[in-house]
Amino acid sequence: MMLETGADLNRDRAWMRDLRRLALFVGKRLVALVVTVLVGVYLTILIANMGGKVDELRLVQIKTAAAEQIRADPAFHDLPSAEREALMQAQVQLEVDRLRLDEPFIWRSFDYLYQAMRLDLGRAEEMHSDAGSRQVYNIIVERLPATLLLFGTANLLVFFVSVYAALGLSRRYGSKLDRAVIGLAPTSAAPAWFYGIFLILLLAFVVPLFPAGGMVAVPPPDDPWAYAASVLKHLALPVTAMFVAQIFISIYSWRTFFLIHASEDYVEMARAKGLPDRLIEQRYILRPTLSPIVTSFLLMLIGLWSGAIILEQVFNWPGLGTLLFEAIGHRDTPVIIGSVVIFAYLLAATVFLLDFIYAVLDPRVRIEGGRQ
Amino acid sequence: MTEIPLLEIKDLRLSYATERGPVWAVDGVSLELRRGEALVVLGESGCGKSSLAKTLLRILPRNARPPGGQVWLEGVNVLAFPEERFRREVRWLRMSLVMQAAMNALNPVIRVGEQVAEPLLIHRGWSKSRALKRAAEVFVEVGIAPAFLSRYPHELSGGMRQRAVLAMALIAEPDLVILDEPTSALDVLTQASIMNVLKRIKRERGTSFVLITHDVATSSELADRVALMYAGQVVEEASATTFFRQPAHPYSRLLMAAVPRLHQREKPVGIAGRPPSLLDPPPGCRFAARCPHNSPACAQDPEVIELADRHRVRCWLPVGGGVP
Repeated sequence: MMLETGADLNRDRAWMRDLRRLALFVGKRLVALVVTVLVGVYLTILIANMGGKVDELRLVQIKTAAAEQIRADPAFHDLPSAEREALMQAQVQLEVDRLRLDEPFIWRSFDYLYQAMRLDLGRAEEMHSDAGSRQVYNIIVERLPATLLLFGTANLLVFFVSVYAALGLSRRYGSKLDRAVIGLAPTSAAPAWFYGIFLILLLAFVVPLFPAGGMVAVPPPDDPWAYAASVLKHLALPVTAMFVAQIFISIYSWRTFFLIHASEDYVEMARAKGLPDRLIEQRYILRPTLSPIVTSFLLMLIGLWSGAIILEQVFNWPGLGTLLFEAIGHRDTPVIIGSVVIFAYLLAATVFLLDFIYAVLDPRVRIEGGRQ
Repeated sequence: MTEIPLLEIKDLRLSYATERGPVWAVDGVSLELRRGEALVVLGESGCGKSSLAKTLLRILPRNARPPGGQVWLEGVNVLAFPEERFRREVRWLRMSLVMQAAMNALNPVIRVGEQVAEPLLIHRGWSKSRALKRAAEVFVEVGIAPAFLSRYPHELSGGMRQRAVLAMALIAEPDLVILDEPTSALDVLTQASIMNVLKRIKRERGTSFVLITHDVATSSELADRVALMYAGQVVEEASATTFFRQPAHPYSRLLMAAVPRLHQREKPVGIAGRPPSLLDPPPGCRFAARCPHNSPACAQDPEVIELADRHRVRCWLPVGGGVP
């Protein structure tokens, strides 16, 4: 009886201690990440404004625009030039006041930082969202779901298929199937858009089974089910392209990863203990390696942003890649900066999530948070 | 006496496939162990003693070929069991293992208690709380506070981890515990205290041990019987007293002379040369090249000779004129 209560008490205490360590660890990481994002976004602001030099360019731009506007307006044609000059000055002053260009840049840079952190990303210079908004935030957020849908689907598929296939292959080390997958790994040398072009050629033009591009039929169906079906049909080719481009190398690397971890001493011990294979795989191979698995999963999600530009162009997919491509084409600085800010936020959120998952999965990580 | 031995190994053979051909790590090993006895398998690095342990529990690496020979456990050849039956009936219930690298023998992300209690859950179908309660008792027996059950392996010291692994090996009360270099990574004091735990458990529970080691001094504390391995073969098998006092094989004698002793005048003498490659062992006696008694007869494989009851030696010397 004594023993039982003692053990229960111990277990409770251990839980409390773990929870406290976890909270401390997560808190510390959160503070560090907020500082990181602040510094990152502030540096972006400094660089994008060339440390204040852009203000001079902007002032020249404002003056030219005001002069142009007054010269072009027939209503001002008859005014004497002094008055026209005054009018122009007033117009310029108005803009300067609005943008607070007379204040030192360093003051305004902190305002910019504050606005950026609040996701108040300002107005686009050229572009607008499909709904007609000029707000950079709206423009970006409008595109986010399309990108998430495409890359989320493809990555989840690649990830889960490859991890499970790899686990199976690591059990059949050296078999024909194993060697076939290794042989196919170099197919991932070509990027997804490369396969995309062939898929479009074959399955959209030679055999027209799937649409060649876009996210939904034009005009979009009214019925939600028909809409979803149409999106799925449009999703098929780009997802297949990404899947084909990544699956074999992914299986190959996970297989090697599992093979390495299957020869750990504690796995051998678990075998000696007579645990069934399935349990060994779950508790002794997958669980200790969950942190690196989750890391690579989340980093893959982030990493594919850069690849999205070309793939989205090929499939005419209305995502963030296409948006960035257009923004660069239009030299629309606020949209580009806005994308960077949003990316920084997503990155920080991902890293935070990772830290949290690490600490939950791996008790060794928590120690570091608990140690003062 | 016609007692059925607890463990009887007959002509056990194990090879690893390598690019340069098979390496015979265990080459015709025969041993026997009675209930309650402790058998020390001595040998230098690479003589195949760890492979022997792994073959007994059938946890061989991927490049190992299926072993040949027989492993009889109380009159049943368990080496012939299909894998699933061996897992269910033999592993941990009859035979358990304390591994060489006990530092990494525990899963880093699972609490120690769960790992120690796990065999009872799997093999006996016990509830978790019942198994943990039992684990707490075994922890006390091996000398760790039960509070450490709820810790993770990295929170334990090396000695405590080794004790936890020992507790894990004892929890299902197997007939036979195989200890593969259980103390080689520990300091002398911890070694001594773990050896004391083993001695007490042997005395109190009557558990049989196979202790695999290269450490002559430590092994002499626990041993009832000693088997000396050289290049994949057992060269001498004897009771501990006979082995340590009157070894018959030249290798055994040289080995005893190489062990430093307290209050000893003479310097310990090393054995010149190196063991042969197991990839392509020389014909005849494998120790011949290093043996001071090398004779033309040694070009032939020496027979295993029973010098006395349960004292066997693989050498031509006792036949040709007895022990010089």
